[in-house]
Amino acid sequence: MTIITQPAAVPVTPNKGAEPVDPVYRQIRDLVYKVSGIYKAEEKLYLLADGCTRRMKQLGARTPRDYWDQLTAQPSRDGELRQLLNEITIGETCLFRSQPQLDALRKVILPEIVGEKNKQITKRLRIWSAGCSTGEESYTLAMNMLEERDRLLQGWTLEILATDLNDRSIETAKAGIYGDYALRNTTDYFKRKYFSILDERKLQVSAEVKKLITFSRLNLQDDSRMLFMKGIDLVFCCNVLIYFDGVSKAKVINHFFSNLNFGGYFFLGTSESLMRLNDQFHLIHFPGTIAYWKPSLKSGKL
Amino acid sequence: MTVSLAETIHERVRHIETMPAIPAVFLPLLKLLSSSGQDARVDEVVRLVSYDNTIAAQCLRVASSPLFGLEKSPKSIKGAVLTLGLRRVETILLTCCLGQAFPAKKWVLDPAVFWRHSLGCAMVCRKFSEKLAVADGEKAYMAGLLHDIGFMVNCLVFPEEFAKAMKRARGEEIPLDEAEQSTMGFTHCETGQALAEKWGLANDVIEVIAHHHAIEKSQKARPLVALVHLSDLLCRMRGLGYGYYERRMVDLIADPAWPILLQEHRDLEGVDLVRFTFELDEAVGAIHALVAMVFGSAPART
Repeated sequence: MTIITQPAAVPVTPNKGAEPVDPVYRQIRDLVYKVSGIYKAEEKLYLLADGCTRRMKQLGARTPRDYWDQLTAQPSRDGELRQLLNEITIGETCLFRSQPQLDALRKVILPEIVGEKNKQITKRLRIWSAGCSTGEESYTLAMNMLEERDRLLQGWTLEILATDLNDRSIETAKAGIYGDYALRNTTDYFKRKYFSILDERKLQVSAEVKKLITFSRLNLQDDSRMLFMKGIDLVFCCNVLIYFDGVSKAKVINHFFSNLNFGGYFFLGTSESLMRLNDQFHLIHFPGTIAYWKPSLKSGKL
Repeated sequence: MTVSLAETIHERVRHIETMPAIPAVFLPLLKLLSSSGQDARVDEVVRLVSYDNTIAAQCLRVASSPLFGLEKSPKSIKGAVLTLGLRRVETILLTCCLGQAFPAKKWVLDPAVFWRHSLGCAMVCRKFSEKLAVADGEKAYMAGLLHDIGFMVNCLVFPEEFAKAMKRARGEEIPLDEAEQSTMGFTHCETGQALAEKWGLANDVIEVIAHHHAIEKSQKARPLVALVHLSDLLCRMRGLGYGYYERRMVDLIADPAWPILLQEHRDLEGVDLVRFTFELDEAVGAIHALVAMVFGSAPART
């Protein structure tokens, strides 16, 4: 008899009660991934669809298929893809955006780095928030480091470098004032410990936290300045490289590799991939998150 | 492990009077799955299943899970075979049987957590097989599904010792097999192997059960052991582990299993591991749903 085999099963999580997603959105998802490295998982496909719908309204595209044509065939496609990326990443900025990243940092990476560096005379930890935007990530990192100050990081010098291309973002970041939406993942514990109440709806980051961070303007494509960033233990660069073309992206990633100390780690956004733009970094899985590792000298894996 | 310890394990496993609640079709089905040659097996499978209406009905429902690729439940086992292929129906049946094979009161670990891990590993093994064009993806599924059956044995015949190991693993956030080794002096690999031999499972599946944590000890079926080992690690890093935080990092490509699998399947080199990881995340919802459907009758730990 003939056995009929089914093509590879595509896991489809039913999107709670909503109508089925137009298959064109899967095509758009794959295009977005190929160009930017951002992967919108099946259950988040509605977010991609929402972003597309907003763009379609602006452009007067009637169907997702029309929009697909604009994304691929029209001369304006690069610009349009950029607009779409803006749409689908816009709501993601908040403090404590990724708990698995913070867990990996505090439970796995810090003990390792501290164990390694404790033999050295200068106990210094340098973290770089590259493309810090309005500061949410930088402050989150700073608060988490402060939590370890009496434990793992006792006697350590902590430094967080936060850079962005946009002056206005940096000014906002420096002020450190956030409302409910940005603080939606921040627990009361952290709110009480590291913020002061500015008015009914806004909290401001305390001086103790701010002291750890140096905000400055930096263009990641400025090679001469990138060469000066040295001795970094951890780079966080979330949803920034997605806007770069392949060549620029590879160049920036190579810079990050040189900027990092041996044994250092590089984090992207939670649904972002380095693709295959650098084969020196090792892909590392932590519970619920991934990062890229610059092998340490003694690991013999360089 | 000492000789006397090995004897104790075998002695105790011998006295598990076939898993108390095991469906009658289970062992014959395992034999069928282990045999080769597809002709004349369809009727045999249909005949076997007709003895057990519960299993048959459940099998038809499970076939419509997004994980198995059908949109609607097939009307009969024969219909399921025609659309999904015999091998896949057999593995679905095996999944359903296992769900009923274990006495609800005896669980030491949370059964839902255990089944999510086993089923997740089975799905990842199959999906990996598809990417690597492995001839028998359903064999890989079966190996993934059964790789941890030693935990069931532990619950049945070493409940107190295993409870201690579980507690230690959870408390110290270390891998469960390490905690077993240091608390009990053996792991689920040995107890699983004893049960697998008693059940007369295929040799390559026994090899997986015995050596998925120590591939260097594996003599036969090494690519299959490597495949399950890597899938197991990936599941544990993506929320399909044993229900607690494992304080560790995993470098899949630097794992000893990777070159073994690569030697057999050159396609492995081209697999985008990050996207593969994101795709696994998409299946997590469906895995939860399926476990609730198939294994839902098992109450939480008492």
